[in-house]
Amino acid sequence: MTENEKVFNQIVRDYSERLWWHVRRFVNSHEDADDLLQEIFLKVWTALPSFRGEAQLFTWVWRIATNETLNHLRKEKVRAALKFSSVDAEMERRIQADPYFKGTEAERELAKAVLKLPEKQRQVFIMRWWDDLSYEEMSAITGTSVGSLKASYHIAQEKIRSLVSQQVF
Amino acid sequence: MTRKSDISTPEGYFENLQERLSAIPRQQEVSKPAATIRRFTPYLAYAASLLILLSVGTFVLRKTTVAPEVQQVQEDPYWDYYAYLSGALDPDGYFEYTEIEDLSDEDIINYLLASNLSLEQLAMSYEEGF
Repeated sequence: MTENEKVFNQIVRDYSERLWWHVRRFVNSHEDADDLLQEIFLKVWTALPSFRGEAQLFTWVWRIATNETLNHLRKEKVRAALKFSSVDAEMERRIQADPYFKGTEAERELAKAVLKLPEKQRQVFIMRWWDDLSYEEMSAITGTSVGSLKASYHIAQEKIRSLVSQQVF
Repeated sequence: MTRKSDISTPEGYFENLQERLSAIPRQQEVSKPAATIRRFTPYLAYAASLLILLSVGTFVLRKTTVAPEVQQVQEDPYWDYYAYLSGALDPDGYFEYTEIEDLSDEDIINYLLASNLSLEQLAMSYEEGF
């Protein structure tokens, strides 16, 4: 086994489950999260020889995953627009009909409210609320200052409070 | 509210996922000959583009070159050039339109997705009439 393979297997062991949850919150579909994670790890494997250790491995892997996920969502948006349909409506439908959803109605409402946030706020909210990342980690991944991330999270929380009927925070 | 209890996964999903992801380096090793082909892909693309350009050029030249007897008629100041075009190029008296029937909506969507244009850029192109 080569050194790169050892590092790659370590990344798979350490981060695959957390990254799956991260991606799953964005795409709202078990199957899409599964497919996307394959693509993300293929990209990680391809880019591994160029990883020079300037960033932490954790940050580097999360950055690839987040970029790939956002690119995937942008393509879905374009695809939906070209078919004269709405990606937000499709996402809401996915949440409503998700066979793997086991939560309460308040949690379903929360998931739907997150869809209504602008891309940046949605990203920050998912990373903080569900992925449980620290502001410092989020800052390293997104290249945004801690102060700006805190402000985005606060605004996102306020918007969600106004969108859901029950107390979720 | 516990934050991850709202979504479940199939039994043993993460163990299976790790196995599949760990197999990526081996799968890539198997598909390495494809990488050699990929190296030549840009050159093949250039060659194909040149071929298409030559074919289209030849086709356009053949279509637009006017026979001497037709040229003589055209030089007649009373000759209605547009009437000639609509009458002579098409036996029914209309211009011919070629439709690319094999191109489905899905093909066009996939092409636009592969172009990596944003929704805003696509909207701008549409407004500009492309």
